[in-house]
Amino acid sequence: MQSSLFKNYVWLGMGLALALLGMLVLAPLLIVFGTSLYTDQKLDLLAPLQIIRQSELSEVLFNSIWLGLCVIAATTVLAFPLAWIMAKTPLRRHKWLDIVLLIPFMTPPYIGSMGWMLFMQTNGYMEQFIPASKAITPAFFSFGGMVAIMSLHLFPFLYLLLRNALLQIGGSMEEAAAVHGGGFLYRLRRIVLPLLLSSYVMGSLLIFVKTIAEFGTPATFGRKIGFYVMTSEIHKYISSWPIDFGKATSLASVLLAACLVMWYIQSTISSRYSYRLVGGKGAIKQTATMSRWGRILCSLYIGVLLLASIGIPYFSIITASLLKLRGVGLAWDNLTLQHYVELLTPGSSSLNALLNSFGLSIVASTIAVVLGTWFALTVQRSRTPGQKLVDLFSLLPNTVPGIVIVVGLILLWNAKWMPIPLYNTYGMVVLTYVILFLPYTVQYVKASYGQIDPMLLQAGQVFGGRRLYVLRRILLPLLLPGMLAGWMMTFTISNRELVASLLVLPPSMKTSATYIFAQFEQGEVSMGMAMAVISVGITTVLLLAMNVFSSQQKVE
Amino acid sequence: MKLAKKGMMLALTAFMGVSLAGCGTAASNGQASSEASASPSAPAASTAAEQPQQTEVKLSGSVVVYSAGPEGLANKIKEGFEAKTGVKVEMFQGTTGKILARMEAEKSNPAVDVLVLASLPAMQGLKEEGILMSYPEAANADKLIADWSDKDGQYFSYSASALGIVYNTKLVQTPPASWADLAKPEWNGKVNIPDPSLSGSALDFISGYLSASGDSGWSLFESYKQNGVAMAGANQEALDPVITGAKSVVAAGVDYMAYKAKAAGEPVDIVYPKEGSVISPRPAAIVGTAKNADNAKAFIDYLLSDDAQQMVTGAYLLPGRSDVEAKDRASVDEIPTFNVNWQWMNENSDSVTTKFTQLFK
Repeated sequence: MQSSLFKNYVWLGMGLALALLGMLVLAPLLIVFGTSLYTDQKLDLLAPLQIIRQSELSEVLFNSIWLGLCVIAATTVLAFPLAWIMAKTPLRRHKWLDIVLLIPFMTPPYIGSMGWMLFMQTNGYMEQFIPASKAITPAFFSFGGMVAIMSLHLFPFLYLLLRNALLQIGGSMEEAAAVHGGGFLYRLRRIVLPLLLSSYVMGSLLIFVKTIAEFGTPATFGRKIGFYVMTSEIHKYISSWPIDFGKATSLASVLLAACLVMWYIQSTISSRYSYRLVGGKGAIKQTATMSRWGRILCSLYIGVLLLASIGIPYFSIITASLLKLRGVGLAWDNLTLQHYVELLTPGSSSLNALLNSFGLSIVASTIAVVLGTWFALTVQRSRTPGQKLVDLFSLLPNTVPGIVIVVGLILLWNAKWMPIPLYNTYGMVVLTYVILFLPYTVQYVKASYGQIDPMLLQAGQVFGGRRLYVLRRILLPLLLPGMLAGWMMTFTISNRELVASLLVLPPSMKTSATYIFAQFEQGEVSMGMAMAVISVGITTVLLLAMNVFSSQQKVE
Repeated sequence: MKLAKKGMMLALTAFMGVSLAGCGTAASNGQASSEASASPSAPAASTAAEQPQQTEVKLSGSVVVYSAGPEGLANKIKEGFEAKTGVKVEMFQGTTGKILARMEAEKSNPAVDVLVLASLPAMQGLKEEGILMSYPEAANADKLIADWSDKDGQYFSYSASALGIVYNTKLVQTPPASWADLAKPEWNGKVNIPDPSLSGSALDFISGYLSASGDSGWSLFESYKQNGVAMAGANQEALDPVITGAKSVVAAGVDYMAYKAKAAGEPVDIVYPKEGSVISPRPAAIVGTAKNADNAKAFIDYLLSDDAQQMVTGAYLLPGRSDVEAKDRASVDEIPTFNVNWQWMNENSDSVTTKFTQLFK
């Protein structure tokens, strides 16, 4: 069944992949886990369980899981129509939307939450515009508001996966159904949805994991409404006196277990419902014909979505970055560009932080794409136990709160016996980013690979193509969109990574995210917001440029 | 839509600015840092000679400092020390909690030489663990306010802040005069208090109040809870909503942040209730595993020097030395304080934090 393309290298590649993942991902986690078993210098295998019993964990765990499920539901509602519009209607020619929709994802979650809070709070921007809104704004500070904020932040992720999958379902299958008399709803139910299921399950799993491993929003918004989740508890044990790694790691193990259950469900579903869609026959890109009203409705949907996910938070963020005095509020004579001038002064620590961030992210995402593609090709359709292990390990960083991995990495790379002096260097930061964001490339490439029919590779061989030739001319070009998406994701997220950066950056070194965080801690909110605007702005421009470049390549 | 566009335009212009400016600085910066360590240190030699104690050590190399805010002050001290001694300061800045977490993670192979924290009980805890280095001959240590620093010379409180009631002057005409006032109906839902698990100074206030008033002290915080007082992150997170007008008052707010915001023109001010408050010292210490012990000692000397003490007062903090006067703020003798028991506070900080956060969750 499987092509013999890699047969000889499979075992070697698998062994290497497992060894590398073992060192990069598994070892730090094992060290953390080991630490959680050692209480008071002696081994106690039951320590995690006891801590979990003591610390009123059930409520917090329930909160986490419930939040994750609600965010899946909300992101689905937001992302599905959008994916359909951007794959099947004439509106899909607006390619810039893909980049713009990454903006919520590029925004550090705690910045986004702060934007919402500044907008909705008592005497906030909304009340300053419309005093009558006082009646509704308090309702926002609730569980529903938290789900809304997190979903508006995460939905682009699900959208990209769904849209790519929809594009892969070539028009021909739907056309065939239509020719045989299938109506729109019938085609949706019997063809599109089943074919989408695998991508959807994968996407929603990642949404779930991102949600329950997220720290920024619970730390800002959740704390305000008294909604506590696992990550905020873990962070408490790990960053406030007295530090208790034992408790933190015990909680992390529970979080990990919850995620593994989800992973198991996902892999069962997706292995049962995955189909090969990219065949040799040219796929006809079918565009639904659309009435004027339909078009207006779709545009309206996109408009409202952009307003809620970008417009409102960025209105707050930009406004806050322009205010002379935050206590005075919205007034023309209270606006200034001074913070931007200060931020971009040559030689300033803020400019250095900005450049640091970009340098680190570019290096990290490039390494991550190379490793991630390799692992994804090793995993393939995850049939053998070895493949399943690679799959699991490469997904682990996404299922464990970043802070736990980072602690493990520090324990490992700063150990007395460690011969490679990586700790307290740039290399350590790059390594941390690569490990944390590896799952993105793996997922994207896996999704692309899963839909390539092996017949294509076999055809290449039948016509005398050698392995490398087939790899270079058939497989890689087909995987490229997935790799590019993985690179972009990794670049974007590592550019705004906060929790890890706080812990592994060498002293005296800052990234834009740690700079922003420090400004908030120091009460220089305007400076922090200005930095957020600039770093997200530059990332967006870079991605736009890359997008233009890659679409030009396609034309050639 | 329109707003998003506007943001994009702004971001675009900003990007142009950065990319132009970026080219110029990257190279020159690298140069500057490599030169810094080589620069001759004439002033260092002369001041070292003035100091009465010890054999003269020619300082060079670097020192690793983990420092809790305020950032502006930490940067000034770093620059001043580098200029004076020629020693390069590698500084990690974070809250007390983050610094301790980093130390814990680095336990097997510590990188830090000097610790500057914002919480005395945390430093006392480190002393009890036996990981601090004793340096009783620190210059000017005899001039420090004795109650705040260690008798054995293991830590030195080079500065302090006091806790008070910070309020928004646009929303509050008559500020509350006593801690108990905040439990009155007029303040219902309008008060923030920092989270003691995130703010060392808030913990100092809560445990200090309890150590002075005994178990009955909890009734104050219970009445706060009933009046809708919200527990809101670390100090700045508790203060920000008061600056923007979302809340009216911070209970147990750190005073230097309030003075700083007030000096910038924000509508905030602070009162210290008559029945007393807590002054929270900010200690510095050398870690026993310090690889650059001589530089670390020089850094402590510098923190206690006239220069650094002036920087401390410039940041609206209380100076740690009794012979230096506070500037643009209430001084130590103007702030009524409880009769607090630091030993009790150190021993009970954990249980107080737990009980308090449970109460306010």
